[in-house]
Amino acid sequence: MSTAELTKLSAEERHKLVSVPIDGQGLKTLLEAGMIWLKTNQQNVNSLNVFPVPDGDTGTNMVLTMRAAFDEVSNSGTNNASELAHAIARGALMGARGNSGVILSQIWRGFARALDSESTMSVKLLAEALEEAKVTAYKGVVRPVEGTILTVIKDIAAQAEASVQRTDSFTEVLVDIVEAANASVQRTPDLLPILKQAGVVDSGGKGLFCIFEGMWRFLNGDALDKPITEVLPLSEMNLDNAMETVEPGQDYEVVIDFTPNDGFNLENYYESLEEIGTSIQVGEGDGMYRMHIHVPTDNRYEPIDFTMGLGTIQKVAIENLLAQMDEKKNQKNPKIKLAQVHPDEIAVVAVSPGAGLTRIFASLGVASIIHGGQTMNPSIKEILASFEDLPTDKIIILPNNKNIILAANEAASMTVKNVAVIPTISIPQGLSATFRLIPDGNFDEIVGDMKEAMTEVETGEITIATRTVEIDGVQVEKGQVIALHNGKLVASTSSIDEACEQLLVVTKAEEYERITLFFGEDMKQAQVNLLADKIRSIYPDHEIEVHEGGQPHYQLIIAIE
Amino acid sequence: MSDKETRHNELGSILIQKEAIASIARQSTLTSYGVVGLAPKDLIENIRQVIKRDAKYGVDVTFDHDGLIIDLYIVVEYGTRIKSITNSIVNSVKYNVEKTVGVPVRRINVHVRGLRISNMD
Repeated sequence: MSTAELTKLSAEERHKLVSVPIDGQGLKTLLEAGMIWLKTNQQNVNSLNVFPVPDGDTGTNMVLTMRAAFDEVSNSGTNNASELAHAIARGALMGARGNSGVILSQIWRGFARALDSESTMSVKLLAEALEEAKVTAYKGVVRPVEGTILTVIKDIAAQAEASVQRTDSFTEVLVDIVEAANASVQRTPDLLPILKQAGVVDSGGKGLFCIFEGMWRFLNGDALDKPITEVLPLSEMNLDNAMETVEPGQDYEVVIDFTPNDGFNLENYYESLEEIGTSIQVGEGDGMYRMHIHVPTDNRYEPIDFTMGLGTIQKVAIENLLAQMDEKKNQKNPKIKLAQVHPDEIAVVAVSPGAGLTRIFASLGVASIIHGGQTMNPSIKEILASFEDLPTDKIIILPNNKNIILAANEAASMTVKNVAVIPTISIPQGLSATFRLIPDGNFDEIVGDMKEAMTEVETGEITIATRTVEIDGVQVEKGQVIALHNGKLVASTSSIDEACEQLLVVTKAEEYERITLFFGEDMKQAQVNLLADKIRSIYPDHEIEVHEGGQPHYQLIIAIE
Repeated sequence: MSDKETRHNELGSILIQKEAIASIARQSTLTSYGVVGLAPKDLIENIRQVIKRDAKYGVDVTFDHDGLIIDLYIVVEYGTRIKSITNSIVNSVKYNVEKTVGVPVRRINVHVRGLRISNMD
């Protein structure tokens, strides 16, 4: 089930899925809810990392471990809780990343062992399983450090044991567990001095708490994909988007960059900000925080005064939102949102000649766009920069033009990253290849798939001849409309419609299923719609699609597949 | 290669015995998750350990001009992902030794000498 599907379920459906005794599918649902909520809070958990100082990746590690566990069972339809728990444990073990990931995998391992041959899990068995999870987690180390995830699982197990004496309602036990986990997390600084010094709670413990809280939120019908408080990496803060949600009275946008003093507490900070304004976002990068808030005119200095007391302010920007909004309305093209890639995933870089095509590429999951092709070829330096800017080292580039392939190859040989050049010579080839992208797939397989996919589409291009010439046996007068098939001149006529029809004949369009027209900046949508109707009448069994491409010079780029 | 790391300042010299570094490394290895014990490096060490408890047991420290080289001989809990565990040992030992001793650690070699099986599943 996807995130959206999971959160769309009604309260009744939720409780039906997870009813006592919990079966395999119920357990899977709980696992997924926990995983999603953990992922939602990933950055928040990451920001708590103090030891061994540099990385700050506990949240990421735990999410990857949970994800590996979930992948192991995501296609499993078994109702047997024990079987499913063992599969979860196996997945978690294989995918365990980092210290907290390994401990998490041990927790699942113990949990699974307790379920042993039981096909369903009663509330009593849940408590036993958590106890066994704790025992297994503690066995993994000679000198357990308290004030970590270990302490939190210990407190959870103890609470579960106490709760099942009192009630046999799963929901009630879960509430108790979540409360105990939270209290335990809050206590971690008292047990581990290094946390107290840094003014944070333990990150692994917080991650474990998030997993259980996610399960509870799911049953309670709360959203799983929207964090209560979130910290984004600075690069991912999308302040443009926040602007679209201006509420009446919140006229000013204040952005403050600051370095917090020791003991800075993000949750308290959020709470205080909520009393001042709306649309709050806090980002963190390299110890510096950036806060974004919308406030009414009267309050516009309040966030500054407030933040001043918590750290050193580096920069403040105040803008009048109403004025900004007006300006934004005048901008024709909304900002294009490119796919965010994670360090382990495959990123695709595409060369795009027009805004419309860029949007299409972006919607297919392309992570970076280089503008160019047709009029201006991007430089090797530009291409190289796009590689370096991506947070992953598995990169695929689609040149989408035969004049750019060389530069792409050159750039690929200059970077230390692992770059594959898919030699696409046209936009349709590039799009066809992009359809095969699976960001977390096997790099070599995806590259192979893409190379195969690009040959499965025929490319047509319609443009106006700039001079009189005879090529490939076709006589062309300056100003005539010409049609190219896979880069080869196949027709010259007086109208675009005619060129298009001739092109479709040459490409044997009747043998294909779908014709997609991308119209350029010189074409009007209405004109293309008429043309599309005409094509529809000639090829009634084909799917005909029209998209704005926005490319210069070429009236139409046509994909036939 | 000497038996101790020597640093000088204007008042005199600071000598750090290998054993001191070994015990820090040992401590931080044992608090790393997944490690259930240290193992003797070789037969001689194994015999020596019977006679006298030694801070260097399971840990080997050598110096060269670029820094410390630490070898760790460990026993790991069965059913944990060894790659992840050894990674965190390396990180935490390096961090703790560098923080407390102030000498750069150049290499850490982790030798997994055995697995302890507490539960088969």
